[in-house]
Amino acid sequence: MFSKILIANRGEIAVRIIRACKEMGVATVAVYSEADKNALHVALADQSYCIGGPEASESYLNENQIISTAILAGAQAIHPGYGFLSENAHFARLCRKNGLVFIGPDAESMERLSDKAVLKELIQKTKLTVIPGTKAVASMEEAKLAAGKIGYPVMLKACAGGGGRGIRLIRAEEDLEEAYLQATSEALSAFGDGSVYLEKYIFPARHVELQMLADEQGNAVCLGDRDCSLQRRNQKLIEETPSPAIGGEQRKRIIALATEAVQKIGYVGAGTLEFLVDRDGNFWFMEMNVRLQVEHTVTEMLTGIDLVKWQIRIAAGIPLNFTQQEIRMKGSAIECRINAGSCGTLEMLHIPGGPSVRFDTHLIAGTVVSPYYDSLLGKLVVFAKTREETLRKMRASLCELVIDGISTNIEEQLRIVEDDRFTTGNYDLTFMGNR
Amino acid sequence: MALINFLKPKNQLEEGGRSAALVQRDEGEPEKKCPNCHKDIPLSRLWANRLVCPCGYHFRMKARQRMKMLVDKDSFQELFAGMKAGNPLNFPGYRDKAENIRAASGEEEAVICGTAEIGRQSCCLFIMEPYFMMGSMGSAVGEKITSLFEYAQKQRLPVVGFTVSGGARMQEGLLSLMQMAKTSAAVKRHSDAGLLYLAVLTDPTTGGVTASFAMEADIILAEPGATVGFAGTRVIEQTTKKSLPKGFQKSEFVLEHGFVDAIVSRLNQRKMLAEILKMHNGG
Repeated sequence: MFSKILIANRGEIAVRIIRACKEMGVATVAVYSEADKNALHVALADQSYCIGGPEASESYLNENQIISTAILAGAQAIHPGYGFLSENAHFARLCRKNGLVFIGPDAESMERLSDKAVLKELIQKTKLTVIPGTKAVASMEEAKLAAGKIGYPVMLKACAGGGGRGIRLIRAEEDLEEAYLQATSEALSAFGDGSVYLEKYIFPARHVELQMLADEQGNAVCLGDRDCSLQRRNQKLIEETPSPAIGGEQRKRIIALATEAVQKIGYVGAGTLEFLVDRDGNFWFMEMNVRLQVEHTVTEMLTGIDLVKWQIRIAAGIPLNFTQQEIRMKGSAIECRINAGSCGTLEMLHIPGGPSVRFDTHLIAGTVVSPYYDSLLGKLVVFAKTREETLRKMRASLCELVIDGISTNIEEQLRIVEDDRFTTGNYDLTFMGNR
Repeated sequence: MALINFLKPKNQLEEGGRSAALVQRDEGEPEKKCPNCHKDIPLSRLWANRLVCPCGYHFRMKARQRMKMLVDKDSFQELFAGMKAGNPLNFPGYRDKAENIRAASGEEEAVICGTAEIGRQSCCLFIMEPYFMMGSMGSAVGEKITSLFEYAQKQRLPVVGFTVSGGARMQEGLLSLMQMAKTSAAVKRHSDAGLLYLAVLTDPTTGGVTASFAMEADIILAEPGATVGFAGTRVIEQTTKKSLPKGFQKSEFVLEHGFVDAIVSRLNQRKMLAEILKMHNGG
């Protein structure tokens, strides 16, 4: 096992990883920007190094600084967390070149799986169903032909797009020409690449993802599904497991297919397969995230399996020591993301407790929430034997959570968990007024 | 605001796994594609892992490579090195084929024999060579193995053997088949003398070798995923007119059906063999 790991991240996930390391007896190295010099992850780690200015590009995205720090500090491995460099194949390669273990998939897998076209081709060879679509279309005529084949309505998306930009919904053929011209020109100006592709429009839909773990020896397991349909502008707000929309047999089937697929593509590490589930319960494969997710917590609460520890063990070549049949998936877990509405200094923090109540945060007294990073303050996660009890626990815990000095979305989250649509499990991606 | 000075928990480092990155490969270093996981693995990394892919697939190994990874440093003393096949039936092309393979493989025959120490336990050792006519058994292979068992019996040493074979060497006809009886007799005499014979079946172990000394050991181990059988699957299906079960003739299937005692990864073989030899020696 590695005796020292550098955590190339900040905030609540850096704290999370350091906690796992402490339990495993692994020494920890934190890196921080000037804006984070008093952060909790810095205080918790065994060693800490300032690696640059507050802008992410100067610090948390500064690959060379991070590698040098790892070598200087004597770390054998780097955990990238989520965001920042966690899905950066160049950084993974740089780690390998410098004799460091990148805790995640290898660079080549990352490249393969992040190329949407390559990934779709790989997945098409498994028994999972990919959202019907095209590669980049070369012309309007090609787009018309392809859209006719897929069947309206279709989504027109920028190949280089992201963050919800460069996406157009086309309901009928007569709308295609104008949409195509607008989408290609928007993509060119926003991303420097005007190429677009088409995808079937799955609506109404829920966003359901599967947590996968696979080791070097070719063993793969699925730790269940998460329903992440509660989103605003593609930002997840609340996640739960299991999804109230998926039945027992359906779940068994998709778990078996997903596990087989992960083995077939030779993936190693923790990863998430994302799907859109339509009204008929069909799973349409969207994409794969080759890192730990923010909402890994609900899976941990449900299964009792520590995902961060297993990421580290898998990176050290240790095989999984449990089978699919041994994974417990009884009960219900919900996570509410607590986000800052503004910058500010934390004046008072009170964290709820009790059985199966968890708050993953980087907040301690005096924490300054700066404008440089994402607004996530913490994740409130609860678990109980039934969904009804979990909802009760979440309501009680949200009411007990106090974060003074910074405006937060606690009250909005409370309204959501009291909303009939959420309590009955009858919600989808349109809940927050999205498409 | 000063940083909190947290106490540090005294937790022992979790056991197991690697403590550092695997051996780094050079740019442009040749790679080998694993037929199981389809990944390209740098040769240096494969070599460091005893020609076992990180996914667990066991690549075929040359006999002397296997010997070097298995025995205590410099402990192997080769025996019967000069024995090599003639062409008793004047089989067309056999002599030339054998000479070409000698030149290509660097071996005289399809088995190397000798004495060695494994974990400081002395033994007689034979390792078959897959790159010499697919480890086929002709007169020379049969004579070397027989001589080894006779030597081991005289010296009161256990025998450890690694098999890999396509079966009897057809260019020597009945003389090859006769080696099955000859080696079996030598194994029996060695066994009657109260001595241990431990075999490790590697991929593939088939034909006359399976039907003789490979399956006559006191303890039969096998490598993961190795094909172990007598006749080939196609012949069996054509003869019986039945389709064969999934995994037929793989070592895991053979284990399930009671024909091997355990499957041991190459990464653990040295340790296990040493322990078995030690137990047998009363240690």
